[in-house]
Amino acid sequence: MKSSRIRMVVATGVSALVLGACGASTGASPVSHQTANVAYAGSLQLLNEGTIGPAFATTSGYGYLGRGAGSFGLAKEIAAGEITPNVFESIGAAPITELEPSKTSWYVSFAASPIVVVYNPHTSYAPTLAKISQGKLPLSRLFSLLDSKGFLLGRTNPNTDPQGQAFYEMVELAVGRMHLPSSLVKGILGALDNPAEVFSETSLESRLEAGQLDAASAFQSQAIQLHLPYIALPATINFGDPRLAKDYASAHLTLTDGTVVHGVPLLVDATVLGHHDARAADAFVRYQLRSSGRRAFIHAGYTVFEPIFVGTDVPRSVRNAD
Amino acid sequence: MQTNVHPLLRRTSWASWLAVASTIVIWLVLVGPLVTLLLKVSPSEIVTALRQPGALSPLGVSIGSALIALLILVLLGTPLAYTLARSPRRGVRWLEAGMLLMLLMPPLVIGLLLVFMLGPLTPLGGLLAHVHLSATNTFFALIVAEVYEAAPYYVLGAQSTFVGIDQGMLDQASLLGDTPRQRFFRISLPLSLPQLTSSLAIAWARAIGAFGAVIIIAYHPYGLPMQVWTTLNEVGLQRALPYALVLLVVSLPFPLLAFFWSRRARG
Repeated sequence: MKSSRIRMVVATGVSALVLGACGASTGASPVSHQTANVAYAGSLQLLNEGTIGPAFATTSGYGYLGRGAGSFGLAKEIAAGEITPNVFESIGAAPITELEPSKTSWYVSFAASPIVVVYNPHTSYAPTLAKISQGKLPLSRLFSLLDSKGFLLGRTNPNTDPQGQAFYEMVELAVGRMHLPSSLVKGILGALDNPAEVFSETSLESRLEAGQLDAASAFQSQAIQLHLPYIALPATINFGDPRLAKDYASAHLTLTDGTVVHGVPLLVDATVLGHHDARAADAFVRYQLRSSGRRAFIHAGYTVFEPIFVGTDVPRSVRNAD
Repeated sequence: MQTNVHPLLRRTSWASWLAVASTIVIWLVLVGPLVTLLLKVSPSEIVTALRQPGALSPLGVSIGSALIALLILVLLGTPLAYTLARSPRRGVRWLEAGMLLMLLMPPLVIGLLLVFMLGPLTPLGGLLAHVHLSATNTFFALIVAEVYEAAPYYVLGAQSTFVGIDQGMLDQASLLGDTPRQRFFRISLPLSLPQLTSSLAIAWARAIGAFGAVIIIAYHPYGLPMQVWTTLNEVGLQRALPYALVLLVVSLPFPLLAFFWSRRARG
């Protein structure tokens, strides 16, 4: 009896130990080896995982751990405490400002990700699209093509993705700026979450590469990284110039839940969240503001500009990156 | 003294105690997420979520598409599983190897391959368009994705059930003049029904919860898993959890009932 009771205690102890191990935080690391745990917009995946993350880890000595997904989705997970990154990089500041003031009070903008129209080089429309991209045909032709019956256009969901919002607003701005018939906006886009052309972020890129769309929305960086032909758009409608923020704001759309969203420049914004491994987190943001980080962004198809700091309590080491 | 002791306490080896401990741990680990979900979602939140405009549509989409996917699996998967289990031909072994390759593919990869195979600008996609079908963001696409995701659970389960049928019984039926078709309907099917139902129930849970292939080829129309995903991205975790619970409530009863029924049927 006695021995079986001892065994019971041991068995319970083993259970508790194993459970304790399961519940233990794996994110903690000694001060001597801190980690930049970066949650970033899905479009930054290739750049962060392929270039910046490894280069940062090598040059700084800190660890790097990345995770890419839709910016708004990540903000929701961070707010709910589901994930606890110490750096958050989004496209557009809205996902970061959702986390103010509880998780952060500032962000820095340092690169822009202009929107473009990528196209399938094997589609019957390709010759015309190529002429538009070379400037041999006017850009207005692109919008009449997008509106033509049978043209397969792909975009992402404006309710969940900043690129989806920007593409919708881009069409709106383009039709206005080029004095095209206003019916084109509805003709090209249909409903906000139009089942005929709205795909998940993952699926849209796959479909493009599989050649199953005639054209689609994309960031210029995606087009360059995926080696897809694309039509560049003028700065007045491509959401890639922070100086034109006022012009972009004239475009707006109403999301499914009734929220009205105005156009904002598609900037890469970064912030540090909380105090967990703060030195590594600060160093990661700083790395991107310095010349090697900027070069990587330019090489990947982004445009870079002098860092713009927004908010309060910006860490001194980040503000004085140079 | 020992007679009043619970059988568990009569164990004498450390190994058995470790086995008990690890069983408890595994059980807690497996049931933990469900308990967490139940603790996090209040009934009022479920009611609120389901009262949102259009909130019930994903429920209908999920149940409808999964039922059709299951019907397709029963009609096509049962003869396939029977052939794989009972045919001595060498060609069938090759067929089995090909099937296994397809059936064991990760759902996300299946989705990507389906784009290459059934996209609107592929030959098969063109053929589908001729009969006014599209495997891109349609109810049909959702069914295709669900069939692919659920097929392994039914076909492989049914195959192992058919393998286990007593060959002697089938031989006797042959001697009595039964045709292969009669042998199937008179012996194989009735004997296998409990396990087939179990396999079908697991396939139901997989079909209604299909996500990996669905997010690639059927982002629309929203079924419950896509509704969970988009709500998570639009308004956050707390608003997405009620849909997750509804998904569980819809997907679990059939597998649980089938499991208990098949256990009773087996004695």
